[in-house]
Amino acid sequence: MSVKWLVWIGLYLVMGVLVPWATALSWAHQHGSELRPRVRQLFQRGELGLVGLVVVISVIWNLLQSQFMQQTIAVAAVLLALVGTMAGDVWIEDYCRQSTGAASSPERTWRDSRNLAFLVFSMAIVVEILLDRFAKVAAL
Amino acid sequence: MSAPAPALAKPQRPAVVVRLADVSAVVASVSLIFGLLVVFFPVSFPRIIVASWQRGYLVLVMMVLALALDTFLYLRISYLRSSKPTVLVAACLGSLPIIIVGGLSFLLGSTVTQTLSLDLPNLQARVNEEILAHTYLGLVSAVFLPFLVIRLLQQFKPRS
Repeated sequence: MSVKWLVWIGLYLVMGVLVPWATALSWAHQHGSELRPRVRQLFQRGELGLVGLVVVISVIWNLLQSQFMQQTIAVAAVLLALVGTMAGDVWIEDYCRQSTGAASSPERTWRDSRNLAFLVFSMAIVVEILLDRFAKVAAL
Repeated sequence: MSAPAPALAKPQRPAVVVRLADVSAVVASVSLIFGLLVVFFPVSFPRIIVASWQRGYLVLVMMVLALALDTFLYLRISYLRSSKPTVLVAACLGSLPIIIVGGLSFLLGSTVTQTLSLDLPNLQARVNEEILAHTYLGLVSAVFLPFLVIRLLQQFKPRS
């Protein structure tokens, strides 16, 4: 079995999580700052949900290009869109809470966004594996 | 008549408030396990799923699995929050997984029929892949969507 899906998800993890973190470290170094943000601090307002949304859009696009039947594509796309929207909603909710002065907990926001982003990445990996398998079958 | 003494009054446990974060970690783990089974057993695992679908067991197994997972998650959330499970939510969690798995099994039936009616090469392998994909999507939907519905319904609950 090919590991194309592994490279694909690795690319998103690098570009969506590691690059912003490395950029923050580089900025701190360049400005002589003591700032050493951890990944958790960088994404504490639910920004992981936005990374999740980007991943979901990409998977839906790949699904639309696939040769799966329309019903399968529809179910997978709707499910992925729902999960992605809920992941993005964590960021929106935190923004609304902070803007209106409502009670907001960074720990809760981080936990919510981390768990939902985990679900998005996990589903994205499995759907990409299934797409990879189907592409091989269709090519035979 | 005098009011009961506060010390004698039974403390009221609040109703369970579902947060998607509690559910999503477990659903993500189930999803990853499914993915790992497909990667490490690329022939035997899909074959088991297709064989159980042909014998008619797959829908039943998925319903039982989804119901068990939903019950476990709901009881875990209510235990962690020290809150009282409500009948309405329990009824929702009892019925929605069955409706979702049942609905998706009908959809799978029509997908298989439509695939077989097409003039495509390697039809049997295509059907097997469709069954595998529907099994995965059905399992994730049946565990996650009931909690999503409950979470959205909670928005309409008046806040004290």
